Amino acid sequence: MSDITQAEQPEADTAKPARHIPGQPDMWVLVLFEALIFTAYFAVYLFHRSASSALFLRSQGYLNPWLGTLDTALLLTSSMFMLRCVQAARAGAVRAAMANAYLTAGLGVAFLIAKITEWILLVHDGHGFTSNEFFLYYFFLTGIHLLHLLIGFITLGVCIYQLRSPNRRSQEIVETCATYWHTVDLLWILIFSLLYVVR
Amino acid sequence: MTGEAVTELAAPAGPPKRLGGIAWHWRNNPKRELWFAWYSMIIFYNIFVIVFFIMTKTQPPAYPYMPDAQVVSWFGGHRGGLLIGFGIVFATAALTLPSTALIAYSIRRMSVSRAFAYSYLVIYSLSALPGMLLLCVVLSVAAMRPSRDPALIHWLFNFAFLSYVGTMGIFLIGSLVWMLAILLDKNRVLPKWFGYLNLCNALTEVVVSPAWIFHQGVLDWNGLISWWINMVVFGVYTSAFMMLLRTMIQREDFGDGPLPDLPKAPKKAPKAQPATLSSTAQ
Repeated sequence: MSDITQAEQPEADTAKPARHIPGQPDMWVLVLFEALIFTAYFAVYLFHRSASSALFLRSQGYLNPWLGTLDTALLLTSSMFMLRCVQAARAGAVRAAMANAYLTAGLGVAFLIAKITEWILLVHDGHGFTSNEFFLYYFFLTGIHLLHLLIGFITLGVCIYQLRSPNRRSQEIVETCATYWHTVDLLWILIFSLLYVVR
Repeated sequence: MTGEAVTELAAPAGPPKRLGGIAWHWRNNPKRELWFAWYSMIIFYNIFVIVFFIMTKTQPPAYPYMPDAQVVSWFGGHRGGLLIGFGIVFATAALTLPSTALIAYSIRRMSVSRAFAYSYLVIYSLSALPGMLLLCVVLSVAAMRPSRDPALIHWLFNFAFLSYVGTMGIFLIGSLVWMLAILLDKNRVLPKWFGYLNLCNALTEVVVSPAWIFHQGVLDWNGLISWWINMVVFGVYTSAFMMLLRTMIQREDFGDGPLPDLPKAPKKAPKAQPATLSSTAQ
């Protein structure tokens, strides 16, 4: 359970914990940049939505809000497990950290399956990528988000790889991977709000 | 060669000023090839902007949904710019090679397998043919004989822009190769944030792929999302790597270990290190 090296512990107990950005500060450049890019996508979506509000409203009616809610619940829960993974890694509880990382990945896979199922159902009902302007944005935004999720699986793999051996265990890299995963979650919440909730 | 040795080589008697200084650097500066490649890159991108955005107006690309008559009229309106502009491109296109070589050099200087640098070099050298030169050749062919059948002119128009759009997948892989090399590197050749910026750039290349499906709207080949937003990202990305490669050349010591910092770099306040799980972290 505690493969942690204790070398820095006594100092950490006595000194006031230093404040720092979680993970590599460099990862926050990606977070900021991706946030800006998605803000641009959302602005384009809202602009076109205001121009054809009747079409967008009618098309939104074909989405299954329960599937959207399930997607959101899955990703939010996965983020909670990722947070617990970071906390456990900080406390030196490596086995718990790895268990939480696996749970995060499992919920990510569940999200992936739910999303692909939703796509298949929509296409089966005749609402594809080229059906109308709303579904163009729907498939584009959920598709590009899914690509981010797939990259998230790679970061989770890096996280588990780091935790697996005491020789390469790095809290900074674990936190960097968590930062990316939370970004994927945050982007989904915004996409969910725009596509499913905003009327 | 050590850093001290490089310094001695670089300044045997000190460079004279003005034009004599250029000649001195040409003979004595051990980094002259690197600077040549860097200036080639700057010159090429300036030519690229002037030719593609101003002279030929092929960036942003013309609307993909134009009918035959409108395409012929587009060629008629841009004929002079297309022929002169692409003439300049054909004369200077070889400048892309030192640029790509410099990026491959940056990867070669990293503590990663040589396969990264070689694959990057091959990917980008080949992609310049369909991604830039073929577009120039095909649009020049259409512009040269405006009396051709409008359907044929339209065919050439579509072929040129699809050839350009179709190379985005190659740039995507190139960006990922560079990203992976930077993130794995221990020689601190380029900062990790630029590695992540490569990922952002690669993701925007994916967004271009719907241009094969849509002939109008935000995802066509000059759409708001697939071209305009992507071009902003590409502009930031290109500016960033130009500045970072310049700094890399300044820091280069021709060794094979970590690159030293610039001598006059401002001292940073000691950064708080996050708690590590192991003393042998990373």
